[in-house]
Amino acid sequence: MEFEWSVVWQALPELFKGAQLTVMIALAGLVGGLIIGIVAGLMRAYGNVVLNVIAFIYVELIRGTPIVVQVMFIYFALPLVADIRINPITAAITAIVVNAGAYIAEIVRGSFLSIHKGLKEAGLALGLPLWKVLFYVIGPLAFRRMIPALGNQFIVSLKDTSLFIVIGVGELTRQGQEIMAANFRAVEIWSAVAVFYLIMTGTLTLILRVTEKRMRIL
Amino acid sequence: MSLVEFKNVTKNFGPISVLKDVDLTIDEGEVVVLIGPSGSGKSTLLRCINALEEINGGDLIVDGISVRESRSKVRLIRQEAGMVFQQFNLFPQMTALENVAFGPRRVRNLSKADATEQATALLAKVGLADRGHHYPSELSGGQQQRVAIARALAVKPKLMLFDEPTSALDPELRHEVLRVMQSLAEEGMTMIVVTHEIGFARKVGTRLIFMENGNIAVDGDPAVLLDSPENPRLREFLQHVH
Repeated sequence: MEFEWSVVWQALPELFKGAQLTVMIALAGLVGGLIIGIVAGLMRAYGNVVLNVIAFIYVELIRGTPIVVQVMFIYFALPLVADIRINPITAAITAIVVNAGAYIAEIVRGSFLSIHKGLKEAGLALGLPLWKVLFYVIGPLAFRRMIPALGNQFIVSLKDTSLFIVIGVGELTRQGQEIMAANFRAVEIWSAVAVFYLIMTGTLTLILRVTEKRMRIL
Repeated sequence: MSLVEFKNVTKNFGPISVLKDVDLTIDEGEVVVLIGPSGSGKSTLLRCINALEEINGGDLIVDGISVRESRSKVRLIRQEAGMVFQQFNLFPQMTALENVAFGPRRVRNLSKADATEQATALLAKVGLADRGHHYPSELSGGQQQRVAIARALAVKPKLMLFDEPTSALDPELRHEVLRVMQSLAEEGMTMIVVTHEIGFARKVGTRLIFMENGNIAVDGDPAVLLDSPENPRLREFLQHVH
């Protein structure tokens, strides 16, 4: 068969719209996931029994279920059980935040606990409260160690947005699907969609590379 | 006036009893040298003083505050009891100067300029005026430990705790750290030093404590104890470290 470039050109505007939505959902997910992940990770690493158990249940619940089930639950089941009605995009963002947060929590916990215990003691021995030791001493060191694992998670989350096709969010994969349904040009459309994803994940990788280069891992 | 007072202090790690009913009073201006075989509880005793280890029984009063008080009170104890670790534990992402200025800035809430000025003076005091902008990884072990001493001093403690400060150093680097410690003692700083440096105990120490199995076995004048140890276990121990 012949690869029809014109099909790709025609589809570009629609795919761009989808890609924009994908980036938007992914960015919101990463920022929200990072915040939730840091809180839950620190609860796991340094919290008392109650905080620890809460964070543990959250992480296990999310890691133990597929993201498709999670977003279906948020979009279709939540209105029935709690009378909360949300639009597909909000459901998608919520799902990605909650999902990424659980994985990031484990990344945060692991990297904070990997910092030599003597540094925490040295900070405490100066008479600082634990939160200041974590913020000024351990945090900056742990963050450097987190970068490779965070990069991994960011890429996984970005690609996971394609699963929100199941609740009809018009992100990149959904746009591709709709164009394909109209013109049946599977090769051109899915190639273009794949390239869009590659550009997005490639950009992420580049940003992480630069960040990592600028910060020595100690 | 007593600065540190152990009252029947016990400390366990699980089923293992590390400190057994320890009674000990340390006054201002004393330089106490703690020696003993490994596992005798000397480091644990030191770490109980600034509450890095929690005591299980009895009471421990440091500068009028019990280590069993609230967390904010425990922080006051830690500000009065500077600590120097065997592994230096300098903050690797900060320069020597930033390490020393860290306490004044974040504990005493000084401005950056004031904290840096203090830190510069302290680095000069430990003989590292020209190393302020080096990172710990760019310093020798002896230099790192002197920065660590300056960092602890920067919070202006009344008492300094040394946990085997020269054990991780090559023999030729030890003396530079010991010299700084000696000049500190000569200025009248109250010091508690866990060490195997018998020479330091003799020359600088005002009091020698020999620990064994979580008990204070011998407590007295360093010169007398080192020259004619009556306790057979101390005599045996000294033969091994000399």
